[in-house]
Amino acid sequence: MTHVRHAQISRRGVLTAGLGAAAGLGLAACGSSEEPSGGSSSSGSGPTVELTIALIPDPPGASEFYRAQLDKFEAANPGIKINVVENPGDQQLSAVELMFQQGNAPDIYRAQAAGFDRMYSRGWAHSLEEFVTDDFLARFPDGSLDPASSGLHRNGELYSIPLVWGRWSAMDLFVYNRSLLSASGFDAAPTTWGEIEEIARAVTTDGGGRIFGMAPEQASGIVRLSRQGVPYSIPGDGINLLTGEPDTANSTMVEAVELMRRMNADGSLITGWESWDSARSYTEFAAGSFAMYTAQSWHIAEIRNLNPDIELGIVDMPVPDSGRASYTPILQQFDPLWSMSSETEHPEEAWLLLDFLASEDFYRAYYEQFGTLTAMQSVWEDDVRANPDLSAVLDVAETTMKVVPNPKLASEGGAAVFNARAERPELRFTDAALESMIKNEEFAPKAEALDQQLRTFLDGIFASGDASAEDITFPSWDPLQPYDAAN
Amino acid sequence: MAVRTRRTAAKRREYLWCYVLLLPLLLAFGGFTLWPIVASWWYSFFDWDGVGTPTEWVGVANFIEVLTAPDFWSAFWHSFLFSLVALFIELPLALAFAILLNNVRLRGRNMYRLALFVPVVTTTAVVGIVFVALLDPVRGAVNEVLFATGLVDSPINFLGSTVTALPTVMGIDLWKGFGISLIYWLAALQTVPKELIEAAQLDGARRFAIVRHIMVPVMAPIAIVIMLLLFQRSLGTFDLVQAMTAGGPVYSTDVVPTYIFRYAFSPEMQAPRYGFACAAGVIFGLLTLVLTLLQAPALKYRKRVAA
Repeated sequence: MTHVRHAQISRRGVLTAGLGAAAGLGLAACGSSEEPSGGSSSSGSGPTVELTIALIPDPPGASEFYRAQLDKFEAANPGIKINVVENPGDQQLSAVELMFQQGNAPDIYRAQAAGFDRMYSRGWAHSLEEFVTDDFLARFPDGSLDPASSGLHRNGELYSIPLVWGRWSAMDLFVYNRSLLSASGFDAAPTTWGEIEEIARAVTTDGGGRIFGMAPEQASGIVRLSRQGVPYSIPGDGINLLTGEPDTANSTMVEAVELMRRMNADGSLITGWESWDSARSYTEFAAGSFAMYTAQSWHIAEIRNLNPDIELGIVDMPVPDSGRASYTPILQQFDPLWSMSSETEHPEEAWLLLDFLASEDFYRAYYEQFGTLTAMQSVWEDDVRANPDLSAVLDVAETTMKVVPNPKLASEGGAAVFNARAERPELRFTDAALESMIKNEEFAPKAEALDQQLRTFLDGIFASGDASAEDITFPSWDPLQPYDAAN
Repeated sequence: MAVRTRRTAAKRREYLWCYVLLLPLLLAFGGFTLWPIVASWWYSFFDWDGVGTPTEWVGVANFIEVLTAPDFWSAFWHSFLFSLVALFIELPLALAFAILLNNVRLRGRNMYRLALFVPVVTTTAVVGIVFVALLDPVRGAVNEVLFATGLVDSPINFLGSTVTALPTVMGIDLWKGFGISLIYWLAALQTVPKELIEAAQLDGARRFAIVRHIMVPVMAPIAIVIMLLLFQRSLGTFDLVQAMTAGGPVYSTDVVPTYIFRYAFSPEMQAPRYGFACAAGVIFGLLTLVLTLLQAPALKYRKRVAA
């Protein structure tokens, strides 16, 4: 009996201790929840507002750069403290969405392109119209913040702030290693698709299994090449804006895929590219593993950082053997990047931070640190020609980019079609193209099958009444000329 | 009567402790296992992107779409292949090694056991990333050795070819899980009475005969449990595939968990399809259940032998 009693007391003790600990933890949790991360708190000298910014620490070194810049902002705004939440690029959108769902939304977040549209459609972006001043508008070129074409406006109101020059994120560059081409007897970069194939094959043969002709950057290389031969909307969404019809099986489009297929089959594309990401492309290019590829603008500084002595050539994208039939598209003036949360409790302070991120000092610092042409042209246009790499990039942008019709901005029907299309990734040509390349299978039958699926998809949208064929048809557009929506 | 009531009350109090101590586990099980399972059944009937409350009821449309999607069945076949490799290659191979390492006369057998078990306790994502680097056609150690020794004149594209990617990942999965199968078998071998083996040896039985006629029959009930555990583990392979290929190239290594992950979380999806992904998860769960039930005769045999 004594033993049992002793045991009971012991258990009760354990239970009491357990409940006590649980209650303690609960109280501690309640206590901490009374002070939200984005709220105000008192400091010795007065109230401090805490803001949270969710960003992607890219390119390399961005983490330290942003912290240093935000420290400057804090020093200039003593009442504001900035907390940084960093997410990898491919997880940023999901992470920010999760923050919103948990009631812990950041005050400022980075969301680009379709990611921004997703946040806007969920009502998580705060209109910036009430904050915009003439001083703010004057930082950007005349007309570039026109709601109809800025890319930063939705429903006529400003919702986002840009980081980079509009053409910077949209341009198609062809980069090559001069010394590797020279070693194989070529003095100049290829200007046509046929020349790409010829040079790639020669470099690969001379490379002895160590150096290859080209890397395709997954299907991005095909997209960039084909945009020189067909309207951009075909590699983008499978729809020809000249006719409003599915056109993946367009002969030039098929030829772009077949070119890559042939080069992969004969070993001219570097072995292993199938599992590469974008960073691997510029890393291996800088290491001299292959001679040519279709690059993104931000790769240039990374290549130069990795190999300052590389004999880097930056030229226009080669065109089909039959000649240029289209240009790299300018769809909007800017790519959206920074947005204010619709749930921020401190919109005034959040705007101060956005205003800082769109300030001349910040744009200049970013340009100087990363060699990126930022959204405020005045900070770089005077000295950009002194940098041979950036000068070449600028030349490519000037000669190979033209304004094109943007059905998403042109009409609600156009937006309905292309937004719905974006939710159907299986209709993209990229999977079929990669399958053709990797399995060495003909692309044309796959393209025709895709066009049939696209036809069914379009018929469904048109039947719903949300859009009509006219919304996605621009018969008067000449892809070799800048598009003028007014005419 | 009063004494009996007091005894019952005391017993209840004693049992109460059991429930109190079970409560945290039950709460955790309910919150982190049961609730997600039930919720995924519910969500699978909605066209839902994972944000807010699901409102767009689509009935069984998600299930029909999953069942008619060739990509799903391709992923399921790959998952099933992982299980077949585990059952027909890993399991017998681990048994052979276990018998070898169970031999007390083998010097350094604990070191061998440790070496084979280390991959089990190594983080799968790390294993995946390390193997991606080792097998890389450009400067990867394996290709460098093959190149240097003249065995190949161009690098082998282990993870970039639709022909070699799946067998490569399966091989690494086998290596990674081999240690745990080995431990299972070593434990099972301890159940074989030494007297039986010694008696057989006295009767002049050879090593293979001892394995076939003594060890295997004695270990059969445990072997069936090992087989089921291994089957379940391999069917759900995810982290290694995600770390090494993410299902590529062109979905040639896609397994059902990566298929589900892609629809629910991939940044490539402008609008994630949580409802569809949940339906794929439910169907995968049911298929796993069916495949497990197909092994019922083996379980019955185990019960009979154990009795």
